[in-house]
Amino acid sequence: MSDQTNNYDVLVVGGGIAGEETALNLANIGYKVIMVEKDLSLGGKMIHLSKVFPTLDCSACITTPKVSETARHPNIHIFTNSEVGEIEKISENNFNAVLTEKPRYVTEECTGCQLCEDACPVSVDDQFQYELVGRKAIYIPFSIANPRIAAIDIENCILCGLCEKVCPGDYIDFRQVEKKTPINVKSVVMATGYELFDPTIITRYGFGKFKNVVTAMQMERQLVPTRPYNSVLRPKDGKMPDNIAYVLCTGSRDDTVGNPICSQVCCMYSTKQAQLLMGALPMADVTIYYIHIRAFGKGFCEFYNQTQGMGVEFIKGKIGKIDEVDDGDLILRYEDIESGKVKEAKHDLVVLATGILANKDYQSMFKNIELEADPFNYVKQTNDLSSPARTSIGGVFVAGTASGPMDIPDSILSAGAASAETASYLRRANNEK
Amino acid sequence: MKTSKTIDHIKKIRTVSDEVKAKRKEFNRIKKLILKALDPEPKSIPQLAKEIDLSIDVITFHLMTLRKYGDVETGELDDMDEYFSYKLKQKE
Repeated sequence: MSDQTNNYDVLVVGGGIAGEETALNLANIGYKVIMVEKDLSLGGKMIHLSKVFPTLDCSACITTPKVSETARHPNIHIFTNSEVGEIEKISENNFNAVLTEKPRYVTEECTGCQLCEDACPVSVDDQFQYELVGRKAIYIPFSIANPRIAAIDIENCILCGLCEKVCPGDYIDFRQVEKKTPINVKSVVMATGYELFDPTIITRYGFGKFKNVVTAMQMERQLVPTRPYNSVLRPKDGKMPDNIAYVLCTGSRDDTVGNPICSQVCCMYSTKQAQLLMGALPMADVTIYYIHIRAFGKGFCEFYNQTQGMGVEFIKGKIGKIDEVDDGDLILRYEDIESGKVKEAKHDLVVLATGILANKDYQSMFKNIELEADPFNYVKQTNDLSSPARTSIGGVFVAGTASGPMDIPDSILSAGAASAETASYLRRANNEK
Repeated sequence: MKTSKTIDHIKKIRTVSDEVKAKRKEFNRIKKLILKALDPEPKSIPQLAKEIDLSIDVITFHLMTLRKYGDVETGELDDMDEYFSYKLKQKE
């Protein structure tokens, strides 16, 4: 096993659920792992979710122990707020790369007391609450962030120095600069996750223009205990909604926006949110507009049937246009597929079930060799039937949604496959020596 | 090892854009308006919108931000179960 400072057995790119699972599996059998996460915290997108389908288990309760285990593991070295680039394959079991660590302007000793946040006079959109509220220019990313260290958004900082004045431990350090570190690894696992579809592209849905049209991720944040508001409320006027619509396939199965494939999770996360809304707002009506319901996983169909039984209305209909009326309510014009007629319905909050897109960051990470993409820009699985983690580069493997849309259990399974194939690759090279 | 305040160091190499300065001023202006409007009694967002010359979604955003920062707290829900009222938080 590697033991020199910048030499590792495996580079795991991405600190979401798939990256963590891969890193833990490999670290537990003795391999030295370096994990690089571009965000300020580990946890990926899963750490921001309310509950998982179809069991309705608390998402954070599943992911935070895994995050902590990853962060504390002696064989895993983590870099957050960092990027990896110039990955170069020298030979089998021999990759060079350059790690770029961006400055947080806060040292690792930070205790997360948040006195600096209280003192900061700047307020900007909070990206971790999906722009539903503000955050300070110095901030802890979110309450269960790991590491729980503040960071300064230097682009929005007014350089008043108040944070440094109030910090009880003298942990603010404006002298920090970007740091580049060369590393050598024997193999690479790409666990770079996915991007969410930007619904402003479909202008007829009015997202960004009509404040009561929100994304499912914004609704997800409204359903967690650390929600941006005191209850589930309309972003326009703070009214408790009582007639909520879901628009499925927003940016999925839609050639006109360049994403013809199914995102695999929107039907079920919308169904899950509908159930949670019935609990949070017992008097509310929830309607889901769908093209087809894809409830293919274990327990999914039963979950869908249960949701119908709870009173959620499912309408097979394609939404043409959303308009706002004076009081912030929304008129949905849709084709009722069952009757073949164009109809209109009024709702007071619309949730767009936005689809999943490939995260194309990996395409610029390699220097002397190309990591091939599939037709939808995900990392290409060169043998997806018998060796699903294998990519176009020997020694580079793929885990989770970097290879295509999938739900959380499938991401964990994919990470298991990636770690098994990586271990096999490393062991084989060792035996050959 | 830190021996003194480091803010002076970054001030020498960075400047703050006019846009960032303007945003900070705007936030403080809206914060003052909301806190002043809530001073006499708790109010709902539509009640605040009648009193403050700002669009209702801007008031909602900033009120919820002030709630997050601990300046404002949630009051009662109205009789129609539609709107909560919000009140100033008594600081210890």
